[in-house]
This record gives sequence, structure tokens and C-alpha cells, in this order.
Amino acid sequence: MAALPRRIIKETQRLMQEPVPGISAVPSETNARYFHVIVTGPEDSPFEGGLFKLELFLPEDYPMSAPKVRFITKIYHPNIDRLGRICLDILKDKWSPALQIRTVLLSIQALLSAPNPDDPLANDVAELWKVNESEAIRNAKEWTRRYAMDN
Amino acid sequence: MGTCWCKHKEPDESDTESPPGLDTISLASGEPPPHLCRHIDSRLVDQLVLEMLSLIASFVDKTMSTLIRHCWLRRFSDEESPVPLVKLHVIADKEDGWIQVVSSLVNVIPLEDPLGPSAITIVFDDCPLPSKEAVIKLTKYLRLNKHRALKGPVNVRVERNICVVLGCIAEKLAGPNSVAVLTDDTLDYLITFLTMRREPCVVLFALIALEKFAHTTENKMTIRRRLDKERDNPLLVLELLAENENYLWRQVGFCAKWALDNQFVIEGRKLSYESVDMSGINVLLNTRDVSEYLKISCNGLEARCDSYSFESVRCTFQVDAGCWYYECTVMTPGVMQIGWATKNSHFLNHEGYGIGDDLFSLSYDGCRKLIWHKAKPTTVRNMPEWQPGDVLGCLIDIERKEAIFSINGQRMRPCKEIFETTQFGFFAAASFMAFQQCRFNFGHEQFQFPPTDRPFSTFNEHGDLTDEQKKVVPRRIYLEQLRCASLREDTCTLCFDEPPSCVLEPCMHRGFCSVCTGLLKECPLCRAEILNIRREPT
Repeated sequence: MAALPRRIIKETQRLMQEPVPGISAVPSETNARYFHVIVTGPEDSPFEGGLFKLELFLPEDYPMSAPKVRFITKIYHPNIDRLGRICLDILKDKWSPALQIRTVLLSIQALLSAPNPDDPLANDVAELWKVNESEAIRNAKEWTRRYAMDN
Repeated sequence: MGTCWCKHKEPDESDTESPPGLDTISLASGEPPPHLCRHIDSRLVDQLVLEMLSLIASFVDKTMSTLIRHCWLRRFSDEESPVPLVKLHVIADKEDGWIQVVSSLVNVIPLEDPLGPSAITIVFDDCPLPSKEAVIKLTKYLRLNKHRALKGPVNVRVERNICVVLGCIAEKLAGPNSVAVLTDDTLDYLITFLTMRREPCVVLFALIALEKFAHTTENKMTIRRRLDKERDNPLLVLELLAENENYLWRQVGFCAKWALDNQFVIEGRKLSYESVDMSGINVLLNTRDVSEYLKISCNGLEARCDSYSFESVRCTFQVDAGCWYYECTVMTPGVMQIGWATKNSHFLNHEGYGIGDDLFSLSYDGCRKLIWHKAKPTTVRNMPEWQPGDVLGCLIDIERKEAIFSINGQRMRPCKEIFETTQFGFFAAASFMAFQQCRFNFGHEQFQFPPTDRPFSTFNEHGDLTDEQKKVVPRRIYLEQLRCASLREDTCTLCFDEPPSCVLEPCMHRGFCSVCTGLLKECPLCRAEILNIRREPT
């Protein structure tokens, strides 16, 4: 790692100047490639009212490869596994260097609004989501209350 | 293993084990520790932890990447964990199970194993994140408070491990939960250890735990206020140990100074870089050529890693011809890979690649007694494992195409392979595993074991830095300055660096530079295949 790429400086500046509603992404004081992220659970989703902590890391060859993102707060979601890894195409084969930290986080927020049990990562969660959606949603709300709300 | 470790107990069979190290502690104050519902025999948990430790030790002839990849990359990829880890994970999924796993770590990780603290971090990385209630229950269960830290003779291993565990928790829970778990009692416990009357390895890890709690700004303020309340700020006393002859105290001194410069800044105290005497020092570790978490001393000659990644640095001086020598005194006995690297060598700290792990670098690790080049180790025989205070000599003779390492003057056989691909552009360079530290001498002081069989030059005689370049500015100040820098707008939309001189054909999207387009397979905007890249004047 030589000097910090301008791309990262630029994105950081923009995130600070024009923050995304419902999302906070703050670079670590000492590591400009590591961001502390908090995503608020979208309205009308089982995650409403929750504050979800994520970590985001820009690898050496960013933006030619995707940021690495994962949930730190436990979450009950068919596309997010027990380690917080996220199944999202733009983080994998559909990454494009024209995408940014901002767009990635918006996509993750959208994934909370629209879980996709047909493309699962957490298999048992996805299974329940398919066979008994109302129970799955109850679980998701319960986990949100238990892990993502501060009292 | 196929065995079921669930131990079904009769309801009346009470568990008589006490929390780690508690038997030595007076229970004079407070309520009794909370009761744990043990579903699993704690001996089995202990055994899993030890299996885990030996698993890590079995990686010793691999690159650090094998080790670190397991904890860092797996978090983002689909690789599966080793079996003992998976089992620990299952146990830790329940709150009381998590406390049991942590208690085992605290109890059984040996003090002298240089990989011990890393094992703790790896288990933590893999376990589900605890709720703040679980952590608070743990701190009560361990009875972390001032009294515990003040107690006469303590079990050094247990207290050291508790401090390592607290550091991990602080790092994992950074944010509101980290604030919630830093209770007054826990803070008292850690701060009470910050004294020269305690065993230095406990003081060291208590200090590192505080530093990790301070990653969360609110905690930083709390700790700062708490330190101010002490009659004398203990860090001001500890920082005086930075040059101490005892290598453990020296580490404490290094960390205290770093904390005072970077986190727990005291009004009226000059930052160390503003007051250090740099006269006669013409070559430093390069603060612009270092991975993110390495700590560099204010004179630019000593470095330390307290992060769980494999951190690397190069020096400021490049050698292209002739014969050169420098020395490096190790302060810790663990894994460091010290030697030579060109600018082509990448620091992939999170993937665990460091100096010696590619074509363009060569290093010696005296903990594992391995010479590294191209990520391949060569075992060095008849050489003891390095110990704090040992001096690694690094000689590079570009005319004769050989590099020779020595420990306290005892030479290893020359390494020649790197010169097959690389003949110039070498820098002194080093990589550090967690909690390792060493000090460089590029010739500003007399060498202890200078080569006698050939003439050589020293970096310091030939180096030349401006006063500005000699400043080892704390990283946070440097990044603040960068973030405020104004950048040009008329640049490539991908790198914001080069002129946007290229048009992609046939989709005709533009706004990219020639460097970026060279790396593209498809158009970043419409994903169309790129058949041609046309340059246009900007």
C-alpha cells in the first residue's frame, strides 16, 4: 500500500458531505480503507427500528474488485448467513468499478426490504421463509428487537 | 470426532467450578458471580481450545496468509472453518456457552506460546458476536474490578489472557456495544494494571485493550477522563520506559507513548514527533509506505504491530548497486519477516502476505527459523530461535548477487535466488505478526556485528531527508489532512487520478483513463464487451 488512492479520498469526502439517508459510513480513524457502517432497517420491513452494524473494507485493487462487506449485527435474513456474509450479486460477479460504497450500501438496504429466499445463503432461514413466511418474518422481527435495538 | 459432548446433568448436580483464577481472589466486595448453565463439560471445551492452538501451530511452515486468511478472508468468502473451530462456534452460539468458551481461552492458553494471543483472536473471529448482555455477564462472572487487579500475586497467564480477550471484544463490538461493555468496573480493572508494580506482560495487554476500546470515540473520551482523574496519568510514567533495557517494559513504554500521541492526547504535552531529536538520522521507516495498522516510533526506527493482520513497512532509502548492511534488534520472540523488498512487493496485510511472500522480497523469520522468498520457506539449521535483544544482520551485495542474514554475527548461507529476477531497487523491509516489535539501525549508531569480510556502505551515510520528511506525524493527523485536500474534478471517473482520455467501443461510454481501461473487461456502465479503446484528446 503506497499512498491512498484518490478514488478512496474522493468517495470518503462525498460520503461525509452528502450522507445517504438511513446509512452512516465512517472511515476508521487510522485505516482509510476500513469503514464502520450502520444501516437502519427499512420501514415496512421486519427489520424496521433496527440499527445494523456492518464492516466494509476496500481491498488493495478497489475499485477493480468489490468492497468486502459483512453484517456484524446478527440478522435473520435468507441472504445473510450466520457470519454476516451477504449474498448479493454486485458484491460478487456483477461488481463494476463504476459502483461505489454508496451504491453498495443502498443495495444492501434494499436487500433488507426485499429478501430473496430463492437465492439463499442461510439455508434454514431461506427454507422457513419459503414454507412459512409469516413465521420467518416473526423471527426476523424478534432478532431485530433482540440484537439490533438498543433497549 | 463423532462423540456427543452434551453432558446431561441431573438437575441437582451442581457445578462447582469457579471462574478462571478466581480462587486466588478475595470475594470481599460485591455480589457473587452469576451462575452459568453449563451444557457442556468444560474439559471438552478446554480440549477443543488446545486442539485449535495446535492446529494454528501446525501452520508454522506456511505463509502467514494461511493463518490470517482463515480469519479474515473467510468472513467474506465461502470457505469452511476447521473442525475444532466449528465445534467451538456451535457451543458459543448460546450465551452461557460463549462465556464457557471464553473462560476456557482464559484458562488454558499458555503464556509462553508466541501464538497464544493470536489463537484467542481467531476463535473470536469465528464465534458469533456476543450480545452486550453476554459480555457484561462475562465481566461479572470473571469479577473484573479494581480489587481483582489490586490483589497480591495474580495468575499472570489468566490476567494476561483476560486482557487479550477484552481487547478482542472491544475490537469486535466497536460502537455503542463497546461503550456498554466498558463498565466502570472493567475500566477500573484495566487502568489499575497500568503501573510498574505489576508484571509487564499484564500491563502491556491491559494497555492494548484500552487502546482497542478507544477505537470507539465515546470510550476514548471516557478513558481519557478517567486517566486525567488519576493523581498522575499512568501513561506519562509508562512512556518513560520506551528505551528500557527490559524488553517487556520497553514494549509497554512504546505503547504508552503511541497511545499518548494517537489516542489519549494530553493538553500541554507535545506530541513526540515535535520534540524528538532527529539530528544524525537520515533514513527512517517510511510512514508513506506502510500498511495501515503498523505503529512507528517518533524517531521512525522502531515498529510494532498490535493488529491481527500481517503488517509491513519499507524504509525510505533505496539501494541499486554496491554492498549494504543494516541491523535490526528484535524486541519480541514472535513471527516477523525482516529483510529486503522492492516497490513491486505488495503489502497485502489482510490476506497475510508480507515481506518474503513474493518474487520481489526476501526475509528471515527467526521465530520459525525460516528464510522466505516467493512465499516459500527454507529452513535454517543450527540457529536458535531468536530472543528479545537478538540482532538480525541484513547484508545485501548486489555485485556478488547475494544476500546474507546473520543472528548476533552468526551467518546463514547466502541467498542468491532473488537476484535471478531482481537486481536493483531494494529497500530494507519487514512484516510483523500481532504483538511483535523490533528496532532498526540503518547506521546512525555503531553496528554490533558489522561484516568484516567485505567493504559495505550504510544507508544513513547516504540518506538525505528534509526536516519535513523526517516528521513521523501520527496517522490520524495525516489522514485528516488528506481528507481535507481538494481534488480536481476533470479526471477519470474510476480512479479520479488520470485524465479521462479513453472511449470504449462499441458502447461509446467515456470518462475513463488509459490505466483504468487497461484493467477493464467490460464497460463499467453498461457491461458491454469492449472491442476497442479509442484515445481522444482531453
